[in-house]
Amino acid sequence: MNLDRSLVIAKKDLAEFRKNRYIMMTLLIMPIMVSIVLPFVYVIPINELSRQNAENVTLDITVTKVYSGVSISNMTLTDAWLDHVNITDCVISSCVVGNSSVTKSVFTASQISDSIVGDSLIYGSRILNLHDGGGNTIRDSYFIGGNKQLEDLKSVMFNLLLILLIMIPVTIPTVTASYSFVGEKMNKSLEPLLATPIADSELLLGKSLSIFGLSMAATWLSFMIAAGIVDMLAGPALGYYPLPSPYWIVGMVMLAPGMCLMSIFANVLVSSKVNDVRVSQQIGGVLVLPVILFFILSLSGYLSSGIVPMVIFSIMVFALDSGILWLSLRVFRREEILVSWK
Amino acid sequence: MIETEGLGRNFDSKVAVENLNLRVDEGEVFGLLGPNGAGKTTTIRMLCCLIGQSSGTAFVNGFEINKEPDATNIRRIVGLLPESPGLYESLSATKNLDFYAQIYGVPKDKRDRRIEELLKMLDLWDRREEPVATYSKGMKQKIAIARAFVHSPQIVFLDEPTAGLDPQASITVREFLIQLSGEGRTIFINSHHLDEVERLCDRIAVMNRTALAVGSPKELASRYWGRTTVIETVEGVERYMDTVKKLPFAMNVRLVDGKMLVDLDDPDKRNPLIVDALGKAGAKITYVTEFKRSLEDVYMKLIGGSER
Repeated sequence: MNLDRSLVIAKKDLAEFRKNRYIMMTLLIMPIMVSIVLPFVYVIPINELSRQNAENVTLDITVTKVYSGVSISNMTLTDAWLDHVNITDCVISSCVVGNSSVTKSVFTASQISDSIVGDSLIYGSRILNLHDGGGNTIRDSYFIGGNKQLEDLKSVMFNLLLILLIMIPVTIPTVTASYSFVGEKMNKSLEPLLATPIADSELLLGKSLSIFGLSMAATWLSFMIAAGIVDMLAGPALGYYPLPSPYWIVGMVMLAPGMCLMSIFANVLVSSKVNDVRVSQQIGGVLVLPVILFFILSLSGYLSSGIVPMVIFSIMVFALDSGILWLSLRVFRREEILVSWK
Repeated sequence: MIETEGLGRNFDSKVAVENLNLRVDEGEVFGLLGPNGAGKTTTIRMLCCLIGQSSGTAFVNGFEINKEPDATNIRRIVGLLPESPGLYESLSATKNLDFYAQIYGVPKDKRDRRIEELLKMLDLWDRREEPVATYSKGMKQKIAIARAFVHSPQIVFLDEPTAGLDPQASITVREFLIQLSGEGRTIFINSHHLDEVERLCDRIAVMNRTALAVGSPKELASRYWGRTTVIETVEGVERYMDTVKKLPFAMNVRLVDGKMLVDLDDPDKRNPLIVDALGKAGAKITYVTEFKRSLEDVYMKLIGGSER
């Protein structure tokens, strides 16, 4: 296989894409809509919840005592700083609690951070990176991070945004791949090209490279824009910049390229077997379904929504890509394309 | 250089080419003549290894068609002008040619020189950076022909090189082809333009699914009609009909439009004898010349009898 020839094909296709207004509009409009408009839609509820939580929370803490590395139970504490403390059955007000483990306690007007809290009542406090041990009642508090309700909302919103962003590398190839292969046939430029010594694998690789490069460039740009907008809008309210999260990074680096390749190879496969451009373009719509299914299963709890399932799913997608590529090469017939394609 | 042996191709139940036997020598400009649907394009596609054959085989420069690695070797040494130019319209002429030169693996310095040479030859050098979409049909066809020659192939297949061109563009293309055929390469032309084929080709094959006849235009004419001498005299040639009929070598002596037509096996040898006989009979001869059959006559005779 001569890689140089594949690169020549890819470069030529990219040059053609650049001069094709239809392709460029397709490349720009959807990514812009998804990456700029949608973050606003998804961040507004997150900000609203954070704002509601923050209302009526004013803290006036003057630390007079420090507890560190001890266990405290059945005490009433005020104006104290508790670090690495095991707290049980306490009433705590106007305290700073960090890196501690709390059970069966009541907090008022305190700041709790990086702690595990279970079976407790928290009123009018600031909470950062709470590890919810379950059984807590939390009211009128300002959740800087780690709140389950807020975390769940963020998870749903950012996953939905990720689904839409992963549709970009799936749908762009349906236009570019159709143009690339069927377009060549329609412009009658495929016959002289197939009469050259270029091998089927070189041609497919070259075509796929250009489409992949273009689709992933648009995708990653969209990811960056979307992440930037989300951070800009949600960062101040959340107290940190949520994107790109590790989950998103796996989505960008593994799932998006995997889905892009699947779309390209599937288009090539279908294009070589059908004689109608429209059929080839419908494939993109069908390919979005497994991605949506994956996220629905994640969000509904049937599938864990962590990084590991995402990595496993991405590996499955790559395995499927290899299968489709193998099949594409097997069914790619110069003669069929020349004689059958209309 | 090109040899087909019982080559045939069916599309489902339709026979496009059957039992085609041709031989094209190195450096020859060979024309394949035939009506639409005669199988000319299918033949070229088979010879360029774009489509397979249903029967028989063919060899291009010793490589067997549609059999690897021979097929790749064939693609390496041939250039093709398909029925449609098939250029990348958004790219310039230079980029179109450069792309193909790179695919054929022509080194950078050689391809730059070759592209310049071809574009200057075609009088397109000044517009080399303009998108092909802005070119006229004739200009596009010239670029497509240049593309077939960009890697200096040993064999070039041209499918209807002047189809749809105006007379001026056709002349330019023909001149270009004459110039390039002078480089010693084999050129295989598909056409139904009899005049073009007659001007360009050393030999032709008239084809309608199979080769009906192969030879130079002159050979074909003599093969189907023999050679005919036309005689005209000052005082009316009909009075000398008997004089000529008495000559033992004169065949089918007839009067057509006031002129005497005589079929001869060897006009170069027999014409002086006819002139001598007419002179002795007192005829004042205006002219004695050979009646030339056009390629169109040959074509119509062959195709007329084979139309499906």
